[in-house]
Amino acid sequence: MTQLYVVESADFLFLQHQLQMTPGNLSSHLSKLEKAGYVEIVKEFIERKPHTALKLTKKGSSAFKEYQRNLKQVFNDLPK
Amino acid sequence: MNTKTSLREVERRTYISYHQDGLIDIFVGVYVLLFGFGILLMTVTDFSTWFVIPAIFPAIMVPIWISAKKRITMPRIGYVKFGSRGANKLMAVFLGLMVAGLGVFMVFSFSSSQAWALALRNLIISNGMFIIGISAAAISSLFAYTMGLKRLYAYGLLALVLFLAGHFVTVPFAYSLLTIGLTIIINGSVLLIGFIRKYPLSQGDETNVEKSL
Repeated sequence: MTQLYVVESADFLFLQHQLQMTPGNLSSHLSKLEKAGYVEIVKEFIERKPHTALKLTKKGSSAFKEYQRNLKQVFNDLPK
Repeated sequence: MNTKTSLREVERRTYISYHQDGLIDIFVGVYVLLFGFGILLMTVTDFSTWFVIPAIFPAIMVPIWISAKKRITMPRIGYVKFGSRGANKLMAVFLGLMVAGLGVFMVFSFSSSQAWALALRNLIISNGMFIIGISAAAISSLFAYTMGLKRLYAYGLLALVLFLAGHFVTVPFAYSLLTIGLTIIINGSVLLIGFIRKYPLSQGDETNVEKSL
């Protein structure tokens, strides 16, 4: 989610390299995120070749921001 | 924990990973090298159309660079589309450089009619290597900072050292350019070889999984 949050879109291979995950593992994560409506899978053609791009949906972006806020709150609430 | 800094760090790392192939270095190096050859050609053979090279080169090389990115980088590490924030920053740098270039052009244009412009022009000409060295280092550092590519600082430093040396011990301008261009090309080629070794072409497993999405 963080990776997709900082870019407009990325493909499967790029995410796999960045996150250093196996194809099966990444696929399973992405399927769950897609089911939750957080990630949109866009099938497109780049130079007449099929290409799968992944992007965060508005819902996914809001959920990520919410997660960020919550995480920050947890750290702020920790006793010093 | 500063979440903004962490996100910026993720964004920076993503951007750097897309430029770790050394292609940008090779193309910039070839540009500097051709520029140097052009000036050398001008001094040796009186071929005075060398200034056409910097003008037409980007128009020819940018499509080749994009094509190289598609053929070498994308099949190995995949494709990413960055948001408009980074592009806007780069555009601001380009616009700033164009304004600065226009300023220098104005100084040279007004030098025949305005005393201040003539004085400034003479100052630029008499300290040409010095000013070019500082400008090259500043421009390189600006791009290094904007793009997050630390090796551009090293190129800027190399240009500064070579041009300053040229100013004090009178090394021809073309030789300094050729040295810088060649160094950048060699470094870019080393990065490209390392990149190709690190990321061999995928065997199709990912594509099958990708299709199942």
